[in-house]
Amino acid sequence: MNALTVIGEVLVLLGTFFYFLSALGLIRMPDVYNRMQTSTKSATLGSLGVIVGVGIWALGTDFGSAAWLTKTIIIAVFLLLTNPISAHALIRAAYKSGIPLWEGSIIDKYREHLEAKAKDEEVPEEIEETGEGGKE
Amino acid sequence: MVVKRALAIITLLIIGYWLAQGLAGVPFGEDKMLVGQYYLDNVKQQTGAVNAVTAVVVNYRGFDTLGEVTVLFIASTGVGALLWRRKKERTAKTEGSIVLTTGTRLLFPFVMLFGAYIFIHGHLTPGGGFPGGATIATAFLLLYLAFITYEIPHRGFEVTEGLAGMNYVAVGLIGLAIGGYFLFDWIWQTWQFGWDNVGRLLSGGFIPIIYTIIGIKVGTELSGIIDNMLKEEVSK
Repeated sequence: MNALTVIGEVLVLLGTFFYFLSALGLIRMPDVYNRMQTSTKSATLGSLGVIVGVGIWALGTDFGSAAWLTKTIIIAVFLLLTNPISAHALIRAAYKSGIPLWEGSIIDKYREHLEAKAKDEEVPEEIEETGEGGKE
Repeated sequence: MVVKRALAIITLLIIGYWLAQGLAGVPFGEDKMLVGQYYLDNVKQQTGAVNAVTAVVVNYRGFDTLGEVTVLFIASTGVGALLWRRKKERTAKTEGSIVLTTGTRLLFPFVMLFGAYIFIHGHLTPGGGFPGGATIATAFLLLYLAFITYEIPHRGFEVTEGLAGMNYVAVGLIGLAIGGYFLFDWIWQTWQFGWDNVGRLLSGGFIPIIYTIIGIKVGTELSGIIDNMLKEEVSK
């Protein structure tokens, strides 16, 4: 009984710690992409800790039942599936609307890929070899 | 500009102070229930619902809900009338990335399921027809945002919307025929269906039925509004 309570409390504490880290990353990081990187990852992990932790915590108390854990696990799985997708969509939209990378960034493979693709489409169909070369 | 802004702030402050003065007479945290106590005392045996809010909204004050449904219907029809064009198509240019489309494909049934869960369990858990219907509309909004060519099946949606509204009124009219007044809860009061079942799924009189109707209606209506607003005129 009590072990469950302790495990739940530790999980909630860990989760809130990761929440704090994600908020800190939001302030600390230099550009949109880095901010998204830190905030979404640790917020997802923190939510999982808090949500599942509450479920396990409730099991250890006298008013809790298995329904708590079931509900919290469902919510956690839903969050685990949707949070990365939304982060992906946000970052992709940010890149597409032309938000620049941090000035310290060294490499931007996606731009190279996009430029190569644009070049590919510009090249007329007769000269297929150069078009293929541009892709590689 | 500055004068305008300052005047607006001062006016808002005066209005806010006036409202706060009015609210200062209301004691906070004291029991001021007049009708509320009656609802809390009688909601279980009179309506069979554990959720007092939905019981009040559907049973005690059913006319309000009927009015709200009408308001939504008028909103949907109004948007349809305002944005009416002969040739309208979706003009979205970029499809969502493959992560987005796959995620939407995976999530869509779950969002639909959860929306249905909300409106079916209106008499037991928080929620009811309006949140459930909005959740279902969210599922369709997801499809609209992720795919460039997706369109709801119009004919089916509009017919379902109308039928759901008619069913609501029909349930009320059956109550009028059986019990003597509009929106009389005949399933609970006359049939006594689920009397020994309070707190479980098969109880709550006609609340689950009405909320299923409202959920379907709101879901199709909001989806229709989304559909109307996302489309643009094409000059072909």
